[in-house]
Amino acid sequence: MANIRDVAKKAGVSVATVSRVLNRASNVSPKTADAVLAAMQELHFTPNGLARGLALNRTRTIALLIPNIVNPLYPEMAKGVEDVAHQKGYNVLLCNTEEDIAKERDYLTMLIERRVDGLILMSTLLTNDNLLQIREYNIPFVLTGRYRQDLEADIVYTDYAYGSYLAVHHLLEVGYQRIAHISGSAIQWESQEKLSGFKKALREAQLTVEAKYIVEGDNEIEGGYLGTMRLLHLSEKPQAIFAANDLMAIGAIDAVKAQGLRVPSDVAVAGFDDIRMSALVEPKLTTVSHPVHKMGLIAARLLFDHIDGGAGEDATQKILLQPKLMVRKSCGHENRLREIFN
Amino acid sequence: MRGETYMDLAVDFMGLKLKNPIMVAAGPLTATGEMLRQAVEAGAGAVVTKTIVNEIRPKVRPRLAALGEGMQNIELYTEFSLEAWEHEIRYAKSHGAVIIANILAHTPSEMADIALRVEKFGADAIELGVACPHGEGLEGLFADPAQLYSFTKSVVQRVNIPVMVKLSPNVTNMAKMAMSAEQAGASAVSAIDTVRAIIGVDLESGRPLLSTYGGYSGPPVRPIGLAAVALISQAAKIPVCGIGGISNSHHVLEYMMLGASTVQLCTSLILNGLDSLSKIIHDLETWLMQHNVADFGQIRGKALQSLKSFEEIKVEPYVAKALQGCSDLSCNLCVRGCIYKAVHKSKFKVTVDQNLCTGCGLCLSVCPDKAFVLEWK
Ligand SMILES: Cc1cc2nc3c(=O)[nH]c(=O)nc-3n(C[C@H](O)[C@H](O)[C@H](O)COP(=O)(O)O)c2cc1C
Repeated sequence: MANIRDVAKKAGVSVATVSRVLNRASNVSPKTADAVLAAMQELHFTPNGLARGLALNRTRTIALLIPNIVNPLYPEMAKGVEDVAHQKGYNVLLCNTEEDIAKERDYLTMLIERRVDGLILMSTLLTNDNLLQIREYNIPFVLTGRYRQDLEADIVYTDYAYGSYLAVHHLLEVGYQRIAHISGSAIQWESQEKLSGFKKALREAQLTVEAKYIVEGDNEIEGGYLGTMRLLHLSEKPQAIFAANDLMAIGAIDAVKAQGLRVPSDVAVAGFDDIRMSALVEPKLTTVSHPVHKMGLIAARLLFDHIDGGAGEDATQKILLQPKLMVRKSCGHENRLREIFN
Repeated sequence: MRGETYMDLAVDFMGLKLKNPIMVAAGPLTATGEMLRQAVEAGAGAVVTKTIVNEIRPKVRPRLAALGEGMQNIELYTEFSLEAWEHEIRYAKSHGAVIIANILAHTPSEMADIALRVEKFGADAIELGVACPHGEGLEGLFADPAQLYSFTKSVVQRVNIPVMVKLSPNVTNMAKMAMSAEQAGASAVSAIDTVRAIIGVDLESGRPLLSTYGGYSGPPVRPIGLAAVALISQAAKIPVCGIGGISNSHHVLEYMMLGASTVQLCTSLILNGLDSLSKIIHDLETWLMQHNVADFGQIRGKALQSLKSFEEIKVEPYVAKALQGCSDLSCNLCVRGCIYKAVHKSKFKVTVDQNLCTGCGLCLSVCPDKAFVLEWK
């Protein structure tokens, strides 16, 4: 079956032009429109739920709401969403909520007014009730980030507690005992889950969780830097620091170096997310992969199931993506095999 | 159809009607719809797609190395998105292909989601491609019976098409893995995927020939595949698809006699070309004709009956004997290969000192002329 790109190629026009023809936009010359229609016929192109879309007055846009556009994690996710949307001939509107529930609500209102065809919300702060209201506008949505048991909605999630547990367990295995945690911003549910994974690993190793070794960060490099400074000034400084995201871990490495200390021989550092930069910083950061690109792909696929009417009677989907420990150099292990078989 | 040698090779496998039991295995030859079509045109009874995943990544270069008869690969998964596979599968199906979609994901829910999608694209069956020795950790899903069970179960519950589980030889007990798949509702298992390997080291540069651990395939892995298929056939009741080192009809029949219902080929088709399929199929027909075998059911598992426990193998007073002289003056394999210094050769005459011979049997298989037999002393 041909897709919109094949049609564009055959007709010698851009995907956008094909899309305009499909939407019966006025700014297409009749000659071009004819060429596109001929190409469609020749390729037996059936506009995937698109004819329906026209009747239903689609805008051929979906929106992605992310918490922080400056964190390189989220563009990875946007790429996943866009990979799929582009193949479907859709645009993606990107909204940066900055972990601000009021801003998130504003965006939602705007998006509903603009009649987007679907929404993907990453780490949303909205309550279940807020979310269910979107349904009244007949706009499908998919949540990504953490699991929500009590909400009948498509969710692509990962296990933040387990991912954190893996990182801390690794630090314990290498031999550290005084392990500190720089947590994510308190407003994010994910931060709570990461903290619980951190505590679980320590308790399992029969270590006490000491309040002085848990500092709150802000999910930014600065928070990691300041949190680490605070930890390094303790009379008994930690041997290892697990930061709730890679940006803070990078801030932590910077702070350790600024104190004239070395990572990992003086202080080990682990992060969470596996942003691309984490494999480039010195030393390369041991972290937990947060499969946001895949999350974006799958969320978009689920969303288009609804938009194209292919979701069927299946109950809502809750798809777990596996967090994975990525062993690199910042924690001072000597297990090269672990790195190779990451 | 070739007149006189025409035989019906058709098989029913997991409810699929195949024109013959020979499939092209997941690999570089099944990477696109067009290649699937070519495989079917070359005679394959079914085709198994390259492993389909949610998240694609570019292929490393180089990623294949052949040495001797074996091949190492460090190739990962498909380079096509799921969206593109919809088109590829439909295309191959429109050319009459029976398609088994090989899929991989990292949680049961993710696996079930991909399975459902490839089913919608028109795949006739699913193979869980969970057995690759590289790219998925040192021991992952493929080595853990409980995980294999839950992944398989979640897919089986989700789709209506049959599900086959591909097994890895890189575990200590393949029978256990096969039973997990069976209990989870799989319709078949296939084995083997590649064997973890480093094919060689370049002495001048001091580097391995490929840049990481990979999977070994081709003729050298066939004995491993044969044992795997025998083990699985004796452990589980679901049908088995034999894979590993098959390059001719003899190999196909060996796998079948050890319990396989169907087989898959990869490396030999890469090295000899898809054209070699038609000869394998033709030879298979001829063999069946000559042996008066009407369908594969008559030979399937035949050799399993003769696999014994050590307790059942009686220690009989066998010794070797040379039946004939040897015309090849330059060949000395029997003499050199005799651990017990029992074989002697002078010019054309070959003798065995039956007082030294312990009946190990090696001379029977090393002699190109098959000049030796075992007899009771
Ligand atoms: C280059 C290459 C790529 C392969 N890719 C896959 C794959 O994507 N998925 C899979 O399940 N098996 C893959 N395999 C394994 C084959 O399907 C098969 O199990 C193995 O090669 C043994 O069979 P053979 O000796 O006939 O090659 C690959 C093998 C080779 C040589």
